[in-house]
Amino acid sequence: MRKFLYIIICTVVLSSCTKEEKPIVISAENYHQTVDKITDIMVHDIFSPPVASRIYAYSNLAAYQIIRQENKDLIDLTSNFKELQPIPKADSTAKINFKVAALVAQMEIGKKLIFSEEFLTSYRDSLYTNWKKTNEEEFNTSKSYGLEVAQHLSKWIDKDNYKETRTMPKYSVYSDDPGRWQPTPPSYMDGIEPHWPKIRPFTLDSASQFKPAPHPDFSLEEGTAFYDELIEVYEINKKMEKEGDEAEEVKIAQFWDCNPYVSTQRGHLMFATKKITPGGHWMGICKIASKKVDLDFAQSSYAYTATAIALADGFISCWEEKYSSNLVRPETLINKYVDENWKPVLQTPPFPEYSSGHSVVSGAASIVLTKIFGEEFSFEDDTEVKYGLPVRSFKSFSHAASEAAVSRLYGGIHYRAAIENGLVQGKNLGNHVVKDLNLQPLTY
Amino acid sequence: MKKPFSLIILMIFFASCEKEKTPEDFLFEKLPAETTGLNFSNELTETNALNILDYLYFYNGGGVAVGDIDNNGLPDIYLTGNQVKNKLFLNKGNMQFEDITEKAGVAGNSDWNTGVVMADVNGDGFLDIYVCAVSGINGLNGKNELFINNGDGTFTEKAEEFGLDFRNYSSTAAFFDFDNDGDLDMYLLNHAVHTVNTYGPADIRNKRIAESGDKLLRNDDGKFTDISEEAGIYGGANGYGLGLATADFNNDGFTDIYVSNDFHEDDYYYLNNGDGTFTETLKSKFGHVSRFSMGNDAADVNNDGFIDMMTLDMLPEDEKVLKASVGDDPRDLDKLKTEELGYHNQYTRNMLHINQRGEYFQETGLLNGVAATDWSWAPLFADFDQDGFQDLFIATGIPKRPNDLDYIKYVSSNQIRNKINNTRLVDNEALDRMPSGKVHNYVFKGSEDLDFKDQSGKWITRDSVISTGIAYADLDNDGDLDVVSNNIDANASIYENQSDSTSAYLQLSFKLKNKNTFGIGTKAIAWQDGKMQTRQLYNSKGFQSSSEPIIHFGFQKNKKLDSLLIIWPDNTFQKQTGVVLNQHLEISPGQNLEKINYKKLFPAPKPWFEKIDSLPGINFNHRENRYTDFDRQKLIPYQISDRGPAVAVGDLNADGLDDIYFGNSKFDSAEIYFQQKNSFIKQDLKLLKADEKTENTSAVIANLNKDSSNELFVTSGGGEFYGEADALLDRLYAFENGELTAKELPEYFENTSVAKLSDIDGDGDLDVFVGGAAVSNDFGKLPSSYLLINEDGNFKIQKNPELENLGMVTDAIWTDFDQDGQEDLIVIGEWMSPQFFRNSNGKLENISGKILDKKLNGLWQSIVPFDINDDGQMDYLLGNWGLNTKFPASAEFPLKMYYSDFDNNGSTETIVAYAKNEKYYPANGLDELVGQLSYLRKKFPAYKDFAGKTIENIFEKEALEKANLLEVHTMASGYLLNQDGKFTFKAFKNALQTAPILAFLKADFNKDNQEEVLVAGNYFGVTPYHGRFDALAGNIITKNGEILEGVEIGLNLTQKSVRSLDIVSFSGNNYLMVSLNNGKPEFYKLKD
Repeated sequence: MRKFLYIIICTVVLSSCTKEEKPIVISAENYHQTVDKITDIMVHDIFSPPVASRIYAYSNLAAYQIIRQENKDLIDLTSNFKELQPIPKADSTAKINFKVAALVAQMEIGKKLIFSEEFLTSYRDSLYTNWKKTNEEEFNTSKSYGLEVAQHLSKWIDKDNYKETRTMPKYSVYSDDPGRWQPTPPSYMDGIEPHWPKIRPFTLDSASQFKPAPHPDFSLEEGTAFYDELIEVYEINKKMEKEGDEAEEVKIAQFWDCNPYVSTQRGHLMFATKKITPGGHWMGICKIASKKVDLDFAQSSYAYTATAIALADGFISCWEEKYSSNLVRPETLINKYVDENWKPVLQTPPFPEYSSGHSVVSGAASIVLTKIFGEEFSFEDDTEVKYGLPVRSFKSFSHAASEAAVSRLYGGIHYRAAIENGLVQGKNLGNHVVKDLNLQPLTY
Repeated sequence: MKKPFSLIILMIFFASCEKEKTPEDFLFEKLPAETTGLNFSNELTETNALNILDYLYFYNGGGVAVGDIDNNGLPDIYLTGNQVKNKLFLNKGNMQFEDITEKAGVAGNSDWNTGVVMADVNGDGFLDIYVCAVSGINGLNGKNELFINNGDGTFTEKAEEFGLDFRNYSSTAAFFDFDNDGDLDMYLLNHAVHTVNTYGPADIRNKRIAESGDKLLRNDDGKFTDISEEAGIYGGANGYGLGLATADFNNDGFTDIYVSNDFHEDDYYYLNNGDGTFTETLKSKFGHVSRFSMGNDAADVNNDGFIDMMTLDMLPEDEKVLKASVGDDPRDLDKLKTEELGYHNQYTRNMLHINQRGEYFQETGLLNGVAATDWSWAPLFADFDQDGFQDLFIATGIPKRPNDLDYIKYVSSNQIRNKINNTRLVDNEALDRMPSGKVHNYVFKGSEDLDFKDQSGKWITRDSVISTGIAYADLDNDGDLDVVSNNIDANASIYENQSDSTSAYLQLSFKLKNKNTFGIGTKAIAWQDGKMQTRQLYNSKGFQSSSEPIIHFGFQKNKKLDSLLIIWPDNTFQKQTGVVLNQHLEISPGQNLEKINYKKLFPAPKPWFEKIDSLPGINFNHRENRYTDFDRQKLIPYQISDRGPAVAVGDLNADGLDDIYFGNSKFDSAEIYFQQKNSFIKQDLKLLKADEKTENTSAVIANLNKDSSNELFVTSGGGEFYGEADALLDRLYAFENGELTAKELPEYFENTSVAKLSDIDGDGDLDVFVGGAAVSNDFGKLPSSYLLINEDGNFKIQKNPELENLGMVTDAIWTDFDQDGQEDLIVIGEWMSPQFFRNSNGKLENISGKILDKKLNGLWQSIVPFDINDDGQMDYLLGNWGLNTKFPASAEFPLKMYYSDFDNNGSTETIVAYAKNEKYYPANGLDELVGQLSYLRKKFPAYKDFAGKTIENIFEKEALEKANLLEVHTMASGYLLNQDGKFTFKAFKNALQTAPILAFLKADFNKDNQEEVLVAGNYFGVTPYHGRFDALAGNIITKNGEILEGVEIGLNLTQKSVRSLDIVSFSGNNYLMVSLNNGKPEFYKLKD
């Protein structure tokens, strides 16, 4: 306490006695750090992939709508959002640091949407302390503006039907239909977010706008397309098992697991192995690309926001298909009809199979990133190093998306149709996002 | 009412002036090792090679065996150490013990020891010691060891010689004579060690696995033979055996076995067929069992001569632990296990199973107050205070709680993630962050009507020692039973029983000439003042432990016994009269003894009802449609969609014979059966088919329009349809020209539950009261009930503000409660008090306030008029939820339900809160609450932030004040006693509190020209947290208020949910028809 008081006194003394006006300096790195911080809290709080994508979209959008005022080249991404009124104009007479305001708004929206606020507030407060120390007036005006924008956006966010969908009915597991999705081992969790298609999309007319081609008709008859795909999952996994952990397919499956909650039991101990979501992984790729070409703060925000919007709409589109086709997972069928002891390489996530979420959102994100950074943009993907996984190299975003998609087959959690059709669904959606937001390549 | 009132005063009196007793006044004095010399501590050392991640039962602790190894009259103590060496202590008298391990040669050579039993395995009159081990995983070596007593203070390990040197994963063993051939056989309890990532179907128990499967070993002249397979003993991969009890549960003269299995595997109840084989019959005899079953004990706790069963689990009493720990499965997963995989109903709490003559067990742990003792290992029943009722000691605690929700979801991830995946090493820091599970041991005082009172803090201190195995013995030869506990990381404890000299006891030990020298399996039945007490001598009990092989009785009075019956293991018997108490008797079998006739000893009651297959032609099967209310309204306390079938018996086709209407659930057609001469004939009726979308909740057959034939009035509900759905409309059917036709009724869209008829306006036709039940998708809202006035066959709603929003009505009767010659109306329901409406010339006036006890809200289900005290004034029997529930309710501390739109999203929620130690806590856990009120996750990011919070701390004051508050003041079923027109509520005895009472039927069942009331119920529409209310077997209440148990009248309706009881006349006989939810009706012939 004493120390804190001392700091305050110091700041007061400094700001009152020294008239020297030091500007608050903020770099793109601050932006990356804030996104990472929000990611970490989401991992801790165990947000499911669709919910995580919503948090990425809103928090980045809040920052972007502020910072773009600093850079005339950057377009308004919200001009087609019918329900959103333009954000309040900054007071031109006030001395506003748009970067500070952007981060303030980003953190404020983040804080609103995650659960464990104290992790974010302690991060925020350390930033605030530094900024205040540097230039209190600039900090105060920027903070006010950032909070004003956050408040403005909050009202809009609150009307996206998220709150209402919380209390809608659970997915009902009771059915005599053998093709209907059932909870899967080991936790047999309820189907998550069955009402996600009711969330307001950013660019889509409706959740079903990019409905994929239907999956092969459910059948357990040999020779049918569906049955062949089921057996393919089983056979590929058998082959991988033989080759062991060093098989390329195993590495690919594990690299792209992106499951925020893998329930593990060892001895008498149950615990969660947590990772980032597919959306989190693509935010990570966005960061790698931004840093590779040294984007500034505003440009980085642009890249993140556009990608996040594609991810968010991707999940809405994908979940619409998942909870209308309600297709059973390979693990359920293989255990029941083929091999009762079979376990997929990855833990089956708790929602219906078709189409593959990772395929859809990877497709969508890759299109947006390609538009922004260009074709043949190679990168070293170290996003998962923190989670004990290696670095992988990709020739392009599209290359990464294709690998992310097929990883689900290797992981034993999807049939091929969900991957191939899902990737198409995602790319179509990505192209739509590019057009709807009028995305332009960045010059760097 | 008088008695509870004086009780309350007494309690206040006690509370105000009685301080917590000082330890010197406790029934048990805990003796320190410094004074007794019992220097043994089961020290656990976690290493990288061995910890709870590598061996799931790392914290299960050691056992204790007590017995007199040198036959000097003083029982000695053997304690097992998991990692430390086992020790044997010689009792030198005066509570002094000497460590003779080394000299005796019984330290053992296994790396990990578990259970221990003292038994005279070779039949030479000296107790041997069998020590179990875990061997063959994680570098643990060793084997089960058998230390044969040389009779000179030394032992020789001879397991191999006897064929008992198992190298597997043993928990404990029991020695008993399963084939009554005079020597001791052995059951070996093993446990699986694998991780529970998938459950697998229940029938994998049929595939034998050597390391983890249980074994039955037959003693063939000193060599033990594994006969598990041919004897019908399971030995599969899912056998997580932690508890083992042996007893003759069905009193047929052969020892049966109960095995407690941890995790998802069912417990096993093996009935001894007497021919060398066993039949496992858990599912048919037990409605549900403990889920994480640990130790157990078998004892006759209700003094009826049949051995009851207690199994332990880990339900915490402390709210802070309860709400931060993994509890019962979510409902869908529970259904998957029971309906798809074939497991039995298992719930996370201690269970007390009361044995009803071996026919069925009734689980009453919640009713009897012993369900929640947290992480519990070992129960022991004994009459510690020597008052004639068995008391209960429970050993509890675990160094670290692996089921802590924060640890599972948040803490473990960061700590363990990388290490575990990459190196398989675990640092101690990760384990250290698991919260401690130190819980005080529990002790309960037993009493009449199985009311167990928690005496922890009164009989023993509430310390934080972790006790695992416990055993009882009279260590100081003062007649009462002392307790020894094996503790983790602390010295073993002796609880010296300080019962005072006024109490009375009798100790028995046996000496037999055959190889079963200690007479394991002997039964002793003592009668004093006509009261019976029964004991069976089996010494392997509790958890991984064996108690002194003696029988101990306590008695209310120090007075000679009327008689003492000893039944030897070979089922011969001898009887002594006038046995003097307060002594130890050693008894040996006399000469030329006769075999006991158990059927004469426990004569079977003459049944009132005889089950028959069906009445000819009736083939109705009620199928409850698959709808889960909790999918929509996640926080409601119970379902509202499963209240059928509607049943009505009466003449529908004007031929003078009883016909039957069976309503059905949504999308299944109702059925009508016409009675013909020798059979019932199902009618093919278009209108019933057309109305199959309705869910029928009740029905009545009567003449409603003064013509020559009856009509059928059916109420519709089901809790799924809402708004102005046609399927919610009640139906009035008539039979015209062989076809069913629909008659007009006024429109009212409610889930209705009951229709009752009376000519209330004296105009010669029947009017109808229709009760409104809980509102679909808006539980907690008060529905309206309706009075339909009959005007020449046309019905009009009579407006009556007192019927609007009356409450969630379940039943009603027309009865002239004020004796003025006009039928009045009593309406009952859930979250409401019985409502008395006086009928004055066709107008109903609610006069409940003037003639009824205050604060009588219940979850009332059924009502019947019956003069229960035979005083000529009509009383009313009321079926309620019962007391065998996790919902406590009293007038002072009612069960509360807040009804409001808590999250302001346009849909309402209910929050149920119960009182514990005078504070209110939510009935739901955080995950369930968050499922409906997502903002609470933000308010309580960790479970520990939420656990232990009262309802006022969880919700804003304004939110609670804004909400409608509904209350329940009693869960007890009982009756309204009529005292000159005023009514006072009296609760039934415990026998009628075991489950919700959903149906009454008054009739003269036994043809004694007196009416009795048949009582039935049971209900399963709750979450696994509440379990299944399945213990009601069907009871008779006689004219003088006597209660007969199902087994006494020939009924076993346990595990069935009875919705309706009817008498059907067919071919000159009366039959009882018992209609079940989700099943076929049952038919019983009334016996003469």
